[in-house]
Amino acid sequence: MNKLIAWVDRRFPLTPFIKHELTDYPTPRNLSYWWGFGFLAGFVLVIQIVTGIFLAMHYKPDSNLAFDSVQHIMREVNYGWLIRYLHSTGASAFFAVIYTHMARTLYYGSYRRPRELLWWTGQGLLLLMMATAFMGYLLPWGQMSYWGATVITNLFKATPVYGEQIVTWLRGGFAVDDPTLTRFFSLHYLFPFLIFAAVVIHLVALHTVRSSNPSGINLADKDNIPFHPYFTIKDLFGLGIFMIVYLLIVFFKPDLFIDAANNIPANPMQTPADIVPEWYFLPFYAILRSVPDLAGGVVAMAISVLIFAAMPYLDRSRVTGGARYRPIYRAMFYIFVIDIFVLGYVGAHPPAGTLKMVGEVCTAIYFLTFLLLPFVSRWEERFVLARGLPPAVEAMARKEIAEAEGNV
Amino acid sequence: MSNNKLFGLIFCLMFSAGVAHADEAQLRRGAHVAVEVCNTCHSLKYVKYSDFLKLGFSKAEVDAMRGTKGMADPLISQMAPADELAMFSTVPPDLSLMAKARDGGANYIYAMITGFYTDAKGQTANHVFPGIKMPDVFMIAQADAAGRQSIEQKARDVSAFLEWASDPQADERRALGRYVIGYFVLLTVLLYFLKKKIWKRLD
Repeated sequence: MNKLIAWVDRRFPLTPFIKHELTDYPTPRNLSYWWGFGFLAGFVLVIQIVTGIFLAMHYKPDSNLAFDSVQHIMREVNYGWLIRYLHSTGASAFFAVIYTHMARTLYYGSYRRPRELLWWTGQGLLLLMMATAFMGYLLPWGQMSYWGATVITNLFKATPVYGEQIVTWLRGGFAVDDPTLTRFFSLHYLFPFLIFAAVVIHLVALHTVRSSNPSGINLADKDNIPFHPYFTIKDLFGLGIFMIVYLLIVFFKPDLFIDAANNIPANPMQTPADIVPEWYFLPFYAILRSVPDLAGGVVAMAISVLIFAAMPYLDRSRVTGGARYRPIYRAMFYIFVIDIFVLGYVGAHPPAGTLKMVGEVCTAIYFLTFLLLPFVSRWEERFVLARGLPPAVEAMARKEIAEAEGNV
Repeated sequence: MSNNKLFGLIFCLMFSAGVAHADEAQLRRGAHVAVEVCNTCHSLKYVKYSDFLKLGFSKAEVDAMRGTKGMADPLISQMAPADELAMFSTVPPDLSLMAKARDGGANYIYAMITGFYTDAKGQTANHVFPGIKMPDVFMIAQADAAGRQSIEQKARDVSAFLEWASDPQADERRALGRYVIGYFVLLTVLLYFLKKKIWKRLD
């Protein structure tokens, strides 16, 4: 065995790679379980790719056969129901994990210098994931699949001048139909591999800048411990908890995230009473509907997703440790999280009366949070420095401020 | 996600070991109603006659139910869609997935079947589905108390059957799920102690 490894090492840096990235990779010892969600996301990606490959062996991307082929998988393929429920629940699990991962980044300010590129590659991953999930949702060819795809592709009508052409080009016809299904299937199979490649880039960036940590200070060497075995075991324990929750849904409540209307085959002649996207799109959908004008709504929705990329510049505070030492930022974080949940509720219901107004107010709060942040964060920085901080945190903040002023 | 589903999730998280088994005798009674009544107009195209064997029917009983149809044939409606369109001005929907295709599932189906009444104009109407084109097949709107009771029983049976038809692997899934969850709980407990042990080295 040792001879074999030595043979490989002469030709490929296997042992140095494992040493550098795993057994010697220095990791802050104070990372909490909130830092385990990136690993979970990677794990769910693998679940989705593996189950997806097996589903594709039995699925038929043809508008006349797609719905039946899903039932064929559910009823006739050995453990087909398990593979499909792992995949359909996995989509929701993926977003739940990624949103938690993003919330941790926002709370602890992990997007801050020097981790901007790490954050932006994550932002790219989110967009790829959203596109993949959206296209995957068409494949069962149920009523909600069909009308969801119709509504979302229709949004591209907002493009100036070429709106109609772009919508027709995306659908491969004047309405969502067989050509739409076949291209969505093809791309739904391609995108996960793009995601996989983007994850590698995300990890290269992570291993360059290393993990942030909840204390907000750069830890001394003695406070770093090797990733393996300490964080492999910590992540595996977290994975166990995740798997229990995920599999409880798969085995006991698998229809939790499947809309009833999606058990009716797609019917272009009959619009469902209420077209509702999947839960993970609801807050953005609520923002779209809160702006009265189509183009305005689409722009607002796009910005609501993309604006996270601007966080390293919107947050101008030099106090590290994220929300921990920043009471106002902390309050804003919690208000923002509550705001997103309320938007999600609004997005799931027809916009009428009070609910419509709640949606508009929450949309305003959503964007105001980002718009006010540059001013609030500077003011808060002066406030907390005057009030007093733990010495190590204050020293880091003062050093960063001095550096910034020296540069000017 | 409806509140129903959310409560269901909380329920299953709390009592995942105690999920009720479908009552096979009830499913067999419901299968008879489905074949003899519903299947006249509605197809159940994802259910095959051979599937009835899984409900504890004997082969002879299934043979009697299928008549001239083959064992591997799906339950296609006995009326041609064109005739149905002429008669009801709609093609009755396939029932294989009906229990999944409506919020409320089997409860919805039960409420719809028993929801027929005679309105002020003397016409048959439905509490759950206003403007329904399906006739009151069990004639519950005219039934007396005893008749009502027997119709309600049939409606319960056929609703249970349609729930089974929409998800025939449910029992297998829950049975397997108990072992899978048990395995992961055990594994996670072990991982927790292993984690404690490994992290002790840092003290």
